[in-house]
Amino acid sequence: MSQFRLKKLDLGGFVNTRILRDHTKRRTFEQFEPERQALRYTIRNTSLPQRVRAQAQLQLANMHSNTRSTQIKNRCVEGGTARSVIRAFRLGRYQFRMQALAGELPGVRKASW
Amino acid sequence: MAVPYNRLLDLAKAQCRIFSLNFNPERLRLGNKILRQRLRGPSQAAWYPKKTVSFRDLQETYKHSGLTMFDEYEDDREEAIQIARLRGKGRPPKKRTAPELRSAKKKK
Amino acid sequence: MSSKLQKDRLDSIGSKARLPRSVQAVYLRPLRRQAVYGLPVCDLQLRSYSVRNVEFFADFAVRAAYYLKLPVSGPIPLPRMVERWTVPRSNFVHKKSQENFERVTLRRLIQIKDGNPQVVQAWLAFLRKNAFYGVGMKANVWEHESLDVVENMDKSLPEVEKTLEPYLSQFGQRKDTKFHPSIPGILDSERFIAYKGPLTTVRGG
Repeated sequence: MSQFRLKKLDLGGFVNTRILRDHTKRRTFEQFEPERQALRYTIRNTSLPQRVRAQAQLQLANMHSNTRSTQIKNRCVEGGTARSVIRAFRLGRYQFRMQALAGELPGVRKASW
Repeated sequence: MAVPYNRLLDLAKAQCRIFSLNFNPERLRLGNKILRQRLRGPSQAAWYPKKTVSFRDLQETYKHSGLTMFDEYEDDREEAIQIARLRGKGRPPKKRTAPELRSAKKKK
Repeated sequence: MSSKLQKDRLDSIGSKARLPRSVQAVYLRPLRRQAVYGLPVCDLQLRSYSVRNVEFFADFAVRAAYYLKLPVSGPIPLPRMVERWTVPRSNFVHKKSQENFERVTLRRLIQIKDGNPQVVQAWLAFLRKNAFYGVGMKANVWEHESLDVVENMDKSLPEVEKTLEPYLSQFGQRKDTKFHPSIPGILDSERFIAYKGPLTTVRGG
């Protein structure tokens, strides 16, 4: 994990350890995505020799777990909460409610129907 | 009207050449769907807001031109630290052998 | 005589009293050009959270199109997009007390018919320059070519190559990639030689 971390913080806004960790995972995923996709292509391509495909499989399995997209978890930008984060605003439910009531989210208002 | 298979094949071939597609009449699994996918990395990495220019950066850039700048927040912070130190509530000095000390304390 | 009086009264209506707003609105309706061929060239979608803004800006766009001599159809109101969120008011213990929020996006579609592509671009640029607050714009532009496409493309090739040159000169392999050997080197490596698959026979070994 630490080998992927940036020496200098490049985040503005709210930062805590878990956000930092998740951000590092995102950056790592971005960095290694072409390589992963290339390996995935080699594995899926049935016209390539079996040996090459098996080796690609091994290589893909041997890559660091942080290069996987499944390790990424959407977190609240304002408070770092990992649960019930509204994707459209990148906010946790409580932050969303506070900001919506304060009128900081354009177009969002209390609904009743 | 029945069209011979070879002609259809030729048509498909020409179509693939013109639109630069893969000609694959046997429907082998060539994994092309992975090449067609877009890269999701950039959008994933842009989830958290990036750092913007701060007052300190401004200070750093214009340091050489000899301008004097006042960062009120920084001044306030330093003043608070000074006061705390005078009251004896400042940060304790850093110890070289801190981890050992802690472990020794735990044993007791 | 009474009929003359009637006529005078009718004529003086405009100067003495103002017309009702609804009648004024009919007079102030944006002017439009007639489309000759009716070939759609550009679809502009306006989105906003407030009716006033989107209505105002749609009207503005239609008027601007008239003075650029572009035939317009619209503004057509598209279905509203309603997003709703329900969040608990506080901790999960109080799940029973929740609050609903919604965001309604209003959309208007303005379609330009058979206009010159450059004029359409000018219109879009004008709209972007005079963009109204709280109104988003999205344009789909279609261009139609004459039948001698290939000739035109051949003509414009040198220019295209010139603009592409700075990008193509940067094209290459990443410096920090793991595998440096040349492609033939990779293909002749033992991994490929060891397996005599269908692909290896094509290269003859």
